[in-house]
Amino acid sequence: MGKTLFEKIWESHIVVEKQNEPDLIYIDRHLVHEVTSPQAFDGLRMNNRKVRRPDLTIATMDHNVPTTNRSLPMLDETSSIQIKTLENNCKDFGIKLFDINSPNQGIVHVIGPQLGITLPGSTIVCGDSHTSTHGAFGALALGIGTSEVEHVLASQTLWLEKPKTFEVRVEGKRKNTHAVTAKDIILSIIKNIGTAGGTGTVIEYRGEGISDLSMDQRMTICNMSIEGGARAGLIAPDEKTFDYLRNREYTPKNYESLVDSWRDDLKTDSDATFDKQFILDINDITPQVSWGTNPGMTCDVDEPIPSPDEFSNGDPNQKKGAEKALEYMDLKPGTMIEDIKIDRVFIGSCTNARLEDLIEASKIIQGQKVASNVSAMVVPGSQMVKKQAEEMGLDKIFTDANFEWREAGCSMCLGMNPDILSPGERCASTSNRNFEGRQGNGGRTHLVSPVMAAAAAINGHFVDVRKLDLN
Amino acid sequence: MKGNIIKYPRDNIDTDVIIPGQYLKVHDYAELATHAMEGLDPDFHSKVKEGDFILSGKNFGCGSSREHAPIALSHCGVKAILALSFARIFYRNSVDGAFLLPIEIDQDAYDGISEGDEIDIDVSKNEIKNITKNQTYKMKPFSEIIGKIIAAGGLFKYKPDQD
Repeated sequence: MGKTLFEKIWESHIVVEKQNEPDLIYIDRHLVHEVTSPQAFDGLRMNNRKVRRPDLTIATMDHNVPTTNRSLPMLDETSSIQIKTLENNCKDFGIKLFDINSPNQGIVHVIGPQLGITLPGSTIVCGDSHTSTHGAFGALALGIGTSEVEHVLASQTLWLEKPKTFEVRVEGKRKNTHAVTAKDIILSIIKNIGTAGGTGTVIEYRGEGISDLSMDQRMTICNMSIEGGARAGLIAPDEKTFDYLRNREYTPKNYESLVDSWRDDLKTDSDATFDKQFILDINDITPQVSWGTNPGMTCDVDEPIPSPDEFSNGDPNQKKGAEKALEYMDLKPGTMIEDIKIDRVFIGSCTNARLEDLIEASKIIQGQKVASNVSAMVVPGSQMVKKQAEEMGLDKIFTDANFEWREAGCSMCLGMNPDILSPGERCASTSNRNFEGRQGNGGRTHLVSPVMAAAAAINGHFVDVRKLDLN
Repeated sequence: MKGNIIKYPRDNIDTDVIIPGQYLKVHDYAELATHAMEGLDPDFHSKVKEGDFILSGKNFGCGSSREHAPIALSHCGVKAILALSFARIFYRNSVDGAFLLPIEIDQDAYDGISEGDEIDIDVSKNEIKNITKNQTYKMKPFSEIIGKIIAAGGLFKYKPDQD
């Protein structure tokens, strides 16, 4: 019987395999950031261990870095200590660090692919759940906790239970590819499979609706695999993948011969079977907007907010969850999405802060102004994205429209730095999680695509971007 | 293992409410513990006691990979989470650092156990006794692999069986 892409990558990385034991899996790349690594380095010191492969370990600081002027001292002392700690740990253990002043600094899941560190067929781990992003290149990329970070630092391996396989097939063609984006596809998938639909599985996204996407868009899809509960998300590499990684700063010297073998090996066999399957038809897909407090609580832009009864399908906990979510979000069933007014707009995060996201958003706002009651910001995913955008004049388009144009980092996606919502503020956000308090205590998050966020900024409320002329 | 139940009868309790992002900078576990569940239940810290168990619905611990979540709960004295299902990273984090036991329960246990009930968990028999109500429920056994990591006392103490 044939094998899936996931099974091929898994099997080629097994170091130890025994009946009724976890597999010991070799890790090709380990990405490290300031928040989930300090205790891991402490553990190494306590046990007199070294980092086994510093050459396969790359660090940056992204979660709590300020996105304002970096020539000024940091005001938040605890963040400052965490950043200094990463600098010291990288120095002590010989790890390459892209620090706060590096032109390569950025969100770890944005810089990996941009630098050619993320490679097809490889295993990648990081102490961050959105590591699934790198699966867009056909890498098996897993988010791990701090104990596992320490284990990988010490041994370059991990004891893992083999996940099940889950095929998500995206069929059809979007009618308006500027208005309906990869973000809408992945939100729609999560709305259908649920936030635990992928638990214990690695998703492989397949079909015309996926192969049509650019690499930036594919990363948006794989990024949110974890929001559907999956261990990872994968897309088989193709010529778009190979073109993207060619001539990057860390692209391997023997790249073309690697591409030749990837082209042959890195695909699911035609007779392979998956443990689970879901099919999404995107011919009639619309922009998606989350209304609740998890990414599964999402509806079409032209739909009213569902009642807890409609949402729950008879499940009492789902019903209670929807009631609590509506109360937290201060929304009523039956309200049309386009009637929801917003206070803040955040275009950023590892989900949607790549160059293409910023280009698409800039088209919406060009020559217009942010609504007077809204404050809006763009936080590029990396300093490299920021520089490329500035070379194209995008910063000028955003600042002319009264958007703030910031330095790279995770920023308002998770509220670890000063970029947070105030209690009760409502935000159109291109990030990945609308959990209670995620963007700041009492803050209310609506997950949307960059074009939907940009249009909301201009209008002060959500608008169906399919109505706008985007060509 | 005996303890009392703190029940949150809802699904999808995420790691952002277990320990909000702003506290991920806190290095001192005792201080971290004072903010556990702050995003969901501001009274949690005043009611939790050493040896307590939390009971909740589906997909407990979804979201971020922050190991701070099981660490914060365990440093409040919580010894186990009983839930209808768990998000995988939280589940593995709980076990890897031997912070607490993630125990999957069925609907009978979920419905039958109330806030404050005294519970006795017997992992060797995969059994949960409700001492307060004199009822017994089954727990889902740990997979052989997870059971071995738990028995070893965490990821760093685990060694595969020798041939």
